[in-house]
Amino acid sequence: MIAVAAMLFALTFGFEKLPAGLVGGFGAEAFPRLVLGVIAGLALLLFIAPPDSEPSARIPPMVYYTAGSLLAFMALVVLVGMLGAMFVFLIGLGYLWGERRAWLLLMVSALVMATIWAVFIKGFAVQVPQGLWH
Amino acid sequence: MDAFLAGMALLLDPKILLVVFAGTLLGIVVGALPGISGSTTTALLLPFTITMTPVMAIAFLGAIYCAANFGGSITAILVNSPGDPSASATAFDGYPMAVRGEAGRALGMSAVASAIGGIFSVVVLIFAAPLLARMAYSFGPPEYFALAVFGLSMVAMSGGDSAVKNLIAGAFGVMLATVGQDITTGVERYTFGVYSFSDGIEFIPVLIGLFALTELLEQASQLARRTAMARLGAVRLPSWADVRKCAKAISLSSVLGTFIGVLPALGATTAAMIAYVETKRWSKEKDQFGKGAIEGVAGPEAANNAAVGGAMVPTLALGIPGSGTTAIILAGLIVQGVRPGPHLFTEQPTLLYAVFSSMLLANLLYLALGLGFAKVFARITQIPPQFLWPTVFVLSVIGAYAPNQAMAEVWIAIAFGFIGFFMRRFGFSPAPLVIGLVLGKLVEETLKQSLIIFDLSWGGFLNRPIALTLFGLTALFLLGPFLLQRLRERP
Repeated sequence: MIAVAAMLFALTFGFEKLPAGLVGGFGAEAFPRLVLGVIAGLALLLFIAPPDSEPSARIPPMVYYTAGSLLAFMALVVLVGMLGAMFVFLIGLGYLWGERRAWLLLMVSALVMATIWAVFIKGFAVQVPQGLWH
Repeated sequence: MDAFLAGMALLLDPKILLVVFAGTLLGIVVGALPGISGSTTTALLLPFTITMTPVMAIAFLGAIYCAANFGGSITAILVNSPGDPSASATAFDGYPMAVRGEAGRALGMSAVASAIGGIFSVVVLIFAAPLLARMAYSFGPPEYFALAVFGLSMVAMSGGDSAVKNLIAGAFGVMLATVGQDITTGVERYTFGVYSFSDGIEFIPVLIGLFALTELLEQASQLARRTAMARLGAVRLPSWADVRKCAKAISLSSVLGTFIGVLPALGATTAAMIAYVETKRWSKEKDQFGKGAIEGVAGPEAANNAAVGGAMVPTLALGIPGSGTTAIILAGLIVQGVRPGPHLFTEQPTLLYAVFSSMLLANLLYLALGLGFAKVFARITQIPPQFLWPTVFVLSVIGAYAPNQAMAEVWIAIAFGFIGFFMRRFGFSPAPLVIGLVLGKLVEETLKQSLIIFDLSWGGFLNRPIALTLFGLTALFLLGPFLLQRLRERP
């Protein structure tokens, strides 16, 4: 945490410099530096007197697979567009999380997509990315 | 009075009635679904309020907030797994009641106690918020700065592992608010050349990421968990004997919950826990608590719903959020171009009274819906995560994308989903970060204005008694618990 605060503090030296008269004595870098000082102080306090908390359990592999599926979704948006990626994601994550009834996955995903299309695309006129093959 | 009547009259607008009804229904449903809390739902639905008028938007979000607390009790009683964190204390006695076949009695008491607590707090809100706003009307930037710092200091007690961790999360929220152009000089800060960061980090994707996507990853780690639902008979209004038995618990908890809700950053969960302890302390049947005492359901339910109205007092009167969910509602108002604070009571009193009236209506609606359709809501809690959470993700994506129609916002939401997940793993609660993010601009703006007034001398604060009192309270709240602990440890 202290390292992140130090890095953010260092970045404040890269902010554009304005003449003192324009800044009015309290430049753009002053407030972030003040807050980062508070964060560093609190982080030090945490280091000196850590709270009595139980160590958190190991992260199950499924969390990583799920996180990966979110990133895969973003990649898929570029290829097949947002609606296509959503449909694949609904089926994919359901399957990944243990649902094996293909007909139910397809039916629920189609229902969700139909709702998204009716409410957002038709109703709110949201224009979503169409993908490479459009 | 005229404004109050005009606000009530707005409720006759079928569109507003519809959004309050929809908000209440959604609030109960999502409150009942384990993992989806009122905060998650308000964050998820925030983007869709942009197309609404400010009255409709806040009435919708307010109704969700009111009803989600009650919805949480359905799962707490039937499944022993609170749908909303604020219903945790309800499970202590609600589930044992359900196990011995009294689920309908527990749910009936939960609905009535929730509605009484909720209505009591909205009445307090109607009277207290204008008074507080009148007091704050003479506040200048130094007082606002002190108030915002006081609000931030209260995040120390807002959940998570430790006070220090909460404060760090709050401070990081304030840091996030510094991204973009500096308000006085126009200098770009932490934008890394990304054009969309120039206007600062948008609230909506951050909130969606921290609440909805973090919870999605959290759910991925709990897939093996199975819950058994207790049998539910008919849900009835409580008997006269139950009402007499619980009257003291409901009254005490309604007052406690409202008071705790008013304190910045302390929300419904804290209110319910304290109310449970106090209800037990004042009960004649202390030994029955934990085994299915109906007072153990009435107390926390009255308190967690009373905290809703209480939390809205500082949110609307001062622009300082009373809880994580009110921070989201505050963000919703800012997105609508409405900055809550004392001036709202003179400039847009009708809007405020419409909000108060819609919250009153929401409390009555969930009482009726809770008593009439508890069985239906109980069924909804059984939606398998394999269908529920992919749908939540799809809604999160469209919610983050729709306001600016930019994929960058979806990336931000996903990034904050990961950040929120790791924050939780390391004992940091995301709520303080949100409060910091919402208050960050106010803190910086008022500090700069104060220093200009004081000719760049920090000593100027010493001549402002209200600001000094607020700084004193901040110090007391921050240092009080540590000093008390030290005193207790002394031989």
